Amino acid sequence: MNIFLYLDENTWFHRLDPRTKIIGVLLLFGIVMVFNHPLYMAGVALGLLLLGVAAKALPNFWRMRYILALLVVFSTVLWPFFAKGPTPLWSWGRLEVSRESLMYAVAMGLRLASFVAAGLIFLSVTTNEEFTQGLIRLGLPYPVAFAFSTALRLVPTFAGAGATIVQAQISRGLDVESGNLFQRAGKFIPLAVPLFIYAIRHTNMLAMALESKGFNPGAPRTWYLNPQMRRTDTIALAVLAALFLAALLLRLQGYGQVLPRL
Amino acid sequence: MGVAISIQDLSFTYAETRRPALQHINGQVEEGTFVVIMGHEGAGKSTLCCSLNALVPRFFRGEYSGRVIVHNVEVAKARVAEMSRRVGLVLQDFEAQLFSTSVELEVAFGPENLCLPRDEIERRIDRYLRFVGLADMRRREPASLSGGQKQRLAIASVLALEPPILVMDEPTTDLDPIGREEVLSVADMLRQEQRTLLVVDHDPETAVDADQVWLMREGEVVAQGPPRQVLTDLALLESCGVQPPPTVALFQALGWPGQPLTVEEAITLIREHDLARPRPLQCPSTPTNGRPVILELRDVDYVYPTRAVEALSGIHLQIREGEFLAIVGQNGSGKTTLAKHLNGLLKPTRGEVLFRGRPLGDIRRTEMARLVGYVFQNPDHQIFSNTVREEVGFSLRMAGMDPRAVEERVAEALAVVGLAGYEEEVPFTLTKGERQRVAVASVLAAQPQVIILDEPTTGLDYRHQRSMMEMLRDLHRRGHTVIIITHSMWVAAEYAERVVVMKDGRILVDAPTRMAFAQEPALAEASLRPPPLLRLGNWLGTSGLTLEAMVEELRTG
Repeated sequence: MNIFLYLDENTWFHRLDPRTKIIGVLLLFGIVMVFNHPLYMAGVALGLLLLGVAAKALPNFWRMRYILALLVVFSTVLWPFFAKGPTPLWSWGRLEVSRESLMYAVAMGLRLASFVAAGLIFLSVTTNEEFTQGLIRLGLPYPVAFAFSTALRLVPTFAGAGATIVQAQISRGLDVESGNLFQRAGKFIPLAVPLFIYAIRHTNMLAMALESKGFNPGAPRTWYLNPQMRRTDTIALAVLAALFLAALLLRLQGYGQVLPRL
Repeated sequence: MGVAISIQDLSFTYAETRRPALQHINGQVEEGTFVVIMGHEGAGKSTLCCSLNALVPRFFRGEYSGRVIVHNVEVAKARVAEMSRRVGLVLQDFEAQLFSTSVELEVAFGPENLCLPRDEIERRIDRYLRFVGLADMRRREPASLSGGQKQRLAIASVLALEPPILVMDEPTTDLDPIGREEVLSVADMLRQEQRTLLVVDHDPETAVDADQVWLMREGEVVAQGPPRQVLTDLALLESCGVQPPPTVALFQALGWPGQPLTVEEAITLIREHDLARPRPLQCPSTPTNGRPVILELRDVDYVYPTRAVEALSGIHLQIREGEFLAIVGQNGSGKTTLAKHLNGLLKPTRGEVLFRGRPLGDIRRTEMARLVGYVFQNPDHQIFSNTVREEVGFSLRMAGMDPRAVEERVAEALAVVGLAGYEEEVPFTLTKGERQRVAVASVLAAQPQVIILDEPTTGLDYRHQRSMMEMLRDLHRRGHTVIIITHSMWVAAEYAERVVVMKDGRILVDAPTRMAFAQEPALAEASLRPPPLLRLGNWLGTSGLTLEAMVEELRTG
């Protein structure tokens, strides 16, 4: 089972410095947040799709297709009831849908999908270690960064153990699919306890292994990964920053908005 | 040559326990020698390993007395990080040691901690990955490697610190024969480099090449000496829960001259003294169990949803009522995938699985638990209760049985696995062998007609392996159909009636046990080898499967 999204390709996205990737994805998030007009959002979403193609991240988009589709559909259906606009289309008691709120809803759907897409591109081109390295270079203390990356690393391990535990208990007649909510919660115990104990044993073993390999969080160390800021990094960051600022200016001029809200 | 390790009257008791884990250990390891440490579960082998790099007493606290000196450094006064430059320790559980997302970064971790410059780290990655034969896997994710490859990576990641002493705690336990050989060949190369090597292992075949064998029992070292001296004292080995070399046992039982540690040696001795004449092997025509078929796989293919590779293809298999079947094969050959089809945990992509002619898809989960029981490899993947009683009664309560009947069944199941009277014990505090038995009992309580066990002897010492298998034999006698998945060849040989050999998702051999193990070329194709006794038996042409049967046969001529 692999829940990591990293795709081992060699595009220029992959070759960027992890600092650029982190700041870059934050700028992308920023751009995604600026507009709430569906046409403008469609432009942003299309842009991200093209970035995805360039970064060869499409297999991950495909993997996440249901989540992406669900985000768009749900937000388009639900948002109209929560945002109020001036030109009513339909109303029933206190529920009211306006033209603007409908457009806003479509924009929100695209915004959420774009958000996920930007994150997916980042995860597709960045390994766990690069991410950690980037955080350290951006000033995060090593022990914190190490704890963070180890936690990330353990997720698939525990997920694998969890899958085995589920199978073991199913083999003993545990029926996880029937019963009401309360009964189901009770059935969680035979799954949670072994996983918890596994986690403790595993973590303890890992701590021993780390110490045996000379790990000492407080002491100075060197790094094999040695990312360098190159010209492409500077260009990429400059372009993204310019795009973000341009978008912000447009929005402040009143473009790209259907409702005066985020 | 100088002294690499000197242990002086070392005793250690873990905090919060009473029984000492190590008692008055004395010993010396010369530089450049190979020491194999053997002993039963809980004999203190792992504790001894940890005391060499300061994990004991720095990581594991407790009462410590005596001294351990490694290259003129007193271990107890040093920090673990410091010791890591002198003593490399490869821990028992190699899965838990690997945590990077690529092979090269895994190896880089140690040198990074030593503050080495980048080009030196690069050199070491290069050197040690080549050393363990993983040079072309630098970018791979460790999780995607085979068991033997993972273990070799764990070794490389420790070697990259370039410690003059390497300690490996049961490096081959979870590996198939080929993975085992891969790891042992790395050990061989280390010896050629004149590095000091300490290995904990259960298999007498590993110890044959050692300079020294240390035998441990109840926290004490009871014997130290060259393998030819230690491994021929069968009573002593037995008392330490260690499997004696079967060829030595055979020669002693027959009163033949010599103490051959290997099959090759045994053959030379037999020829030299004309002890027996090789004859063509005649397998007794096994009475085909004429009983009805209980489980059947018809032309089954299985493809894992996440991967495009086929895990099973074209499997035809009939299992008859009351059979004792062993499924063997390399890691990743599809053994477990096949077994998981037998109780419906996995559904075939193509083909069908029948229980007494009924498609498995028609059977409900709670009913399935009473038809086919499945014991997973690691008992800790299923134990969750506060008492053994609750744990064993779990499936019965799930099936809605009344409490008094549950009580009765629990007592019965515990008696079968030899844990009568353990009802009120806390399962988590039992030994691994006992936890394994609790897991078996919890499956047995439902009284399934078929019971499947995935690697029932892995992680157990010889004594516990024996008693686990004797228990299964007993179950088989009571009429249960028993199916085991195992990579232990002697277990399959001594206990199973029929052996299925798997390779790349296909059945390569399906024959009565003696006949299956006579097919050495086919087994080699699946990267397997018969156990030593049967390799000798194949050469001699004896049809017995156990030591006793072979002795009997060779006596009567």
